[in-house]
Amino acid sequence: MSNDTARRDVDAAPPTPAPAARKPARAPLWANPRVGLVVLLIALVTLFSILRPAFLNTQLTLVPIQSDISVYLVVGLAQLMVLSLGHMNMAVGRMAATSAFAMGLAYDRLHTPLIVSLLLGLAVGALLGALAGLIISRTGVNSFVVTLALDFALVGLVTILYTQFTDGVAFADLPPGMDALRFDTFADYCMGNLCGPEIPLVVPFALVAALAVGCLFRYSRLGREILMTGSNVRAAELSGIPTRDRIVQAHALSGLVAGLAGFLLAANNGAFSASLGDQFLLPSFLAPVLGGTLLAGGAVSVLGTVLGATLTQVIYKGLNLLQFPLDQLQLYIGLVLLAALSLDRARHVIAERRGVRA
Amino acid sequence: MTAVLTPTPAPSAGRRLTRTPEFTLAVIAAAGFVALAIATGGNLLSAGTLGAFFRFLAVPIVIGLSQMVVLAVGQMNLSVGALTGFCAMASAWLMLEAGWPAPLAVLAALLLGLVVGLVNGALVVLTRINGFIVTLATMTIIQGLRYGVNGPDTFQGYSAGLRAFGRASVLGLPVVFLAALAVAVLVGLFFARTVPGRKLLASGGSPFAARLSGISNDRSLIVAHGLSGLLAGVAAVLTVAASGSVNASIGDDLLLPSFAAPIIGGVALVGGAVSVTGTCLAAFLVRLVDVMQAQFGINPRWIDLIIGAVVLGAVLLGTVRQKLLRRGSP
Repeated sequence: MSNDTARRDVDAAPPTPAPAARKPARAPLWANPRVGLVVLLIALVTLFSILRPAFLNTQLTLVPIQSDISVYLVVGLAQLMVLSLGHMNMAVGRMAATSAFAMGLAYDRLHTPLIVSLLLGLAVGALLGALAGLIISRTGVNSFVVTLALDFALVGLVTILYTQFTDGVAFADLPPGMDALRFDTFADYCMGNLCGPEIPLVVPFALVAALAVGCLFRYSRLGREILMTGSNVRAAELSGIPTRDRIVQAHALSGLVAGLAGFLLAANNGAFSASLGDQFLLPSFLAPVLGGTLLAGGAVSVLGTVLGATLTQVIYKGLNLLQFPLDQLQLYIGLVLLAALSLDRARHVIAERRGVRA
Repeated sequence: MTAVLTPTPAPSAGRRLTRTPEFTLAVIAAAGFVALAIATGGNLLSAGTLGAFFRFLAVPIVIGLSQMVVLAVGQMNLSVGALTGFCAMASAWLMLEAGWPAPLAVLAALLLGLVVGLVNGALVVLTRINGFIVTLATMTIIQGLRYGVNGPDTFQGYSAGLRAFGRASVLGLPVVFLAALAVAVLVGLFFARTVPGRKLLASGGSPFAARLSGISNDRSLIVAHGLSGLLAGVAAVLTVAASGSVNASIGDDLLLPSFAAPIIGGVALVGGAVSVTGTCLAAFLVRLVDVMQAQFGINPRWIDLIIGAVVLGAVLLGTVRQKLLRRGSP
């Protein structure tokens, strides 16, 4: 999105300050966008559990939904990395697919262990992101255009690579350990259900990613400088921040996190396939935006992204269990998104009137 | 038919013409067309192939313009593709299930596009949420509606008159293509000659300056989104006429081309400037790549790769040009 449009929105209303900078004591509870999400989440879970008791079934719903949330949380974080700059990454799904391809290829040809394949794939994702960042920072071309073109290019490349190196759509063998990530929960490793909770093995990956991104933006110099670049490039430049490098680094990190999302989805699906990441684009924006991250840049909310990803997956799962047909599912997701955004906007306006900075 | 608010300084009319990005695009398009005609051994110039070439150029042109209109105010409309499909399905449903005559169904499709576009605009203005996010949400909703019209089934065998319109040609050029060109001329006139068009560009160029000059930015946003929806309705009618059957997948492959045409055509994403000629020429170029794929039986996936590279190349070229021009005329 152009910075201009974003700025125009800012013109109309003062932006939400960085959540990291908020003093919880000053703002009333209702003015915190995260609280609204939690309330909505609880209400929806209660509603779905009453309508379909199966919603609370561990094997049928709770375990798979944790895996899904993990994947889409990481996808949202990948988008969040560049939203912090006021940029977009339209190629997030294809970066995930390309780096998942690299993981599959590494195992297929070199029989590398799982962890080495994963690291190789993440490196490929980071390189792709760095490429996008490099083009954006060196030419000054809008990030939307660059990543859209990159998406075009990668969608072709990924399919060609898969037809070239596999029998068609997916790698035949998976690295050992992927099956465990797909099916096992911690309960399987701990004397039955004695001590381990029923949490899928992919969840820690997502939690570590969320914590790492949160710490990056809150405590590290790199993260703070990325945020400053996002809120005002010129001011950041004048303060001695190498803004071009920060843009490249933020995009590289976005590619890296997208690669991790690709890996988690491949683990969930049990295959490195060409169509991986096709569905990433919309959820990648949904999670951070629902969580209160602006497209304008300069402020992010990792906790909000976690809640946003959880909310979308709860809605998907709930409507699925209520046996809504596919078309209505999309319709309601869209409506819920609009409603959530409008509510947030209303909350914002009210907060502004009462003189609360929210 | 370029409408730019700030006149570019240039010494003479001739040099001014050759310096425009449109001129470069036109040269590339002409060269590409000739090269492809030679490479296919003249097959491209046979009546059937040439007719098909232009018939399937109509929708990309109109959908590119539909995106261009919102880009002019610095917004984006992600719902254009889904809206085109929805309008197409709705008009086919009206003709087949509700028994409406074709002209009424066509009008209804246009009206539907306009109304959905206005809703997009109103949502952007009322909620102050970024247009990208609003249209991302409405895209999802419209996709659901589009599927809801007829499920996974196909509509075919509607009005013979409309299908004849889709197949007809004048002087070897398909009527749908001429219709698309007419729409392009109208859009060009809208931006170059009418007050709402100029206001729209002013809002896109600098919202602050526009507001100080007494222009309502909100109205510009609504007009732009409404017009974009209307053009998506036009694209829907052309699709219904030219293809002979429609189903719920119509429009899925239109989103990226809708951005490719204006961007290759030199329309800036920040708003304030449009190029109707550039958008049409860019749509022509993309179509050329498509035909090349069909003629030589290349893996369609290479085409995505090529178009991606072309978009990126065009954007980079534009930046380099601007830098050179700035250096050339201090």
